[in-house]
Amino acid sequence: METAVAQAFRTAAQAALLVAAAPLVTGVVQKWKARLQCRRGASVVQPYRDLAKLLRKGTVQADTATPFFRAVPVLVLAATVTAAAMLPVLWAPAEGAALPLGDAILLVGLLALARFLLAIGALDAGGAFGGMGASREMTVGLLVEPALMLAVFSIAVAGGTTDVGLLAARRGSLAVAWQAPDLLALFAMLILALAETGRIPVDNPDTHLELTMLHEGMLLEHSGPGLACIVLATHVKQLVTLALVAALFLPLGLARGAAPAELALALAAFAAKVALLAGFLALVESSYAKLRFFRVPQFLGVGLVCAFLALALRVL
Amino acid sequence: MFLSVDLATRLIDVLGALLLFTMLLILASGQLFRAIYAVAAQAAFLGVAGAVLAAATGNVDLWIIAAITIGAKAIFLPWLLLRVVRRVQISREIEAVIPMHVTLALAAAIVVLAFHLNASLGPVRQAITGNALPVGVTLILIGVLVMASRRKALVQMVGLFASENGIFFTAMAISQGMPLIIEIGVILDVVLGALVMGILVLRVRSSVDADIADLESLKG
Repeated sequence: METAVAQAFRTAAQAALLVAAAPLVTGVVQKWKARLQCRRGASVVQPYRDLAKLLRKGTVQADTATPFFRAVPVLVLAATVTAAAMLPVLWAPAEGAALPLGDAILLVGLLALARFLLAIGALDAGGAFGGMGASREMTVGLLVEPALMLAVFSIAVAGGTTDVGLLAARRGSLAVAWQAPDLLALFAMLILALAETGRIPVDNPDTHLELTMLHEGMLLEHSGPGLACIVLATHVKQLVTLALVAALFLPLGLARGAAPAELALALAAFAAKVALLAGFLALVESSYAKLRFFRVPQFLGVGLVCAFLALALRVL
Repeated sequence: MFLSVDLATRLIDVLGALLLFTMLLILASGQLFRAIYAVAAQAAFLGVAGAVLAAATGNVDLWIIAAITIGAKAIFLPWLLLRVVRRVQISREIEAVIPMHVTLALAAAIVVLAFHLNASLGPVRQAITGNALPVGVTLILIGVLVMASRRKALVQMVGLFASENGIFFTAMAISQGMPLIIEIGVILDVVLGALVMGILVLRVRSSVDADIADLESLKG
């Protein structure tokens, strides 16, 4: 049994790792996407440069915006980073840990809170595109969140807990981690991950064309350090989604103690898992076109029914 | 007996999940080609399921049926459908009678129904089959849903094949293989039906430029 302080320290270390690595993951996805499209592409550290540039800039704000508007980026970043702290990245938590950190329902709730704050901020600024982006983002969120919960529940039923860390630890220790429902839940999660990370069949992270953007539309009114916060939050949210998929479906290689060799192995395993999922994102993004917005519910509906089927196979 | 019963049950469960996933792809695909590829993949998984059962039970007939399934339903029939699609040059968009989200909701309802039904069919379940019975029933009913909710005759054929795959899966898993002659007869029926429908679609298309929905206007 470890102390609460040690556990809090480990949680903070894992969150810091996720936040520090998140822009790199975006950079890697962009680089691979460019290579798949026979372009050379920007360096993988380009997202860090963009963030540094934004942090040096000043802030301008619409006349119609309330003081709350300035707090939005910080709150979004805070909610996302808190969500990042709930995931098992390097360490598998011990059974009966002192602090019950890492509940999957709270994790999804925090991501929903970040989404809500972002939409409120976009509406607050009063721009037409912000409102349109917010409306679309909430429509997508309406379809993604219940499906995400269903997929997580179908795993949680097997593991007997909703704590993501414990789920990963228990499934990692069992040789029989993989059953038929996991396959359907994985398909559902891969479909939902594309929507959660704002990738191509649902949203296009590269576009600023008014009629097609979802997520970018909500960022238009933000500038300077505030925009940097939101962009960083977007990177972190992407890595959180990938880490959630990795924790639920590939719960291998998590460290139990603090030995350096064990930690190095856990870090390598985590990097490999994220690289695999990032490769999936890059591949899908290069080989599909963006869906018309009214087709998106159909695409996400497949994910929803898949997650539902996974739960049905497990429970009924 | 090459496979232990436990491993065979798990493999059949996994293949059942894959069959369900391909079924969803058929149901939700907006394009004709995707639906046809999905039904081909579904038939291939069905053939693999037959091979797994054959290995687990040592039933030689199942090997033959698995081979025929893959040859006829995963290769020949999709090829035929794709050929018909190219020949008639219809639009590739699938037109639905009811909106797609309603169809998906109906599919979810069918899943609950099938699994609920399964609970009352306890004695039929066998050790080796796991979840095969509700999965098979789900496949049959969603296939019927595809047939009922689409306008194009070709997509209705895809629905028929998917439904037939479900019947096959159920029969294979529950009875561990019907007599060979019956299985072959069923496959011949499907192939013949597909040929007749394919030719009919081609002929109707070439003589009158009509859609299935246009037949509604013939009613007195």
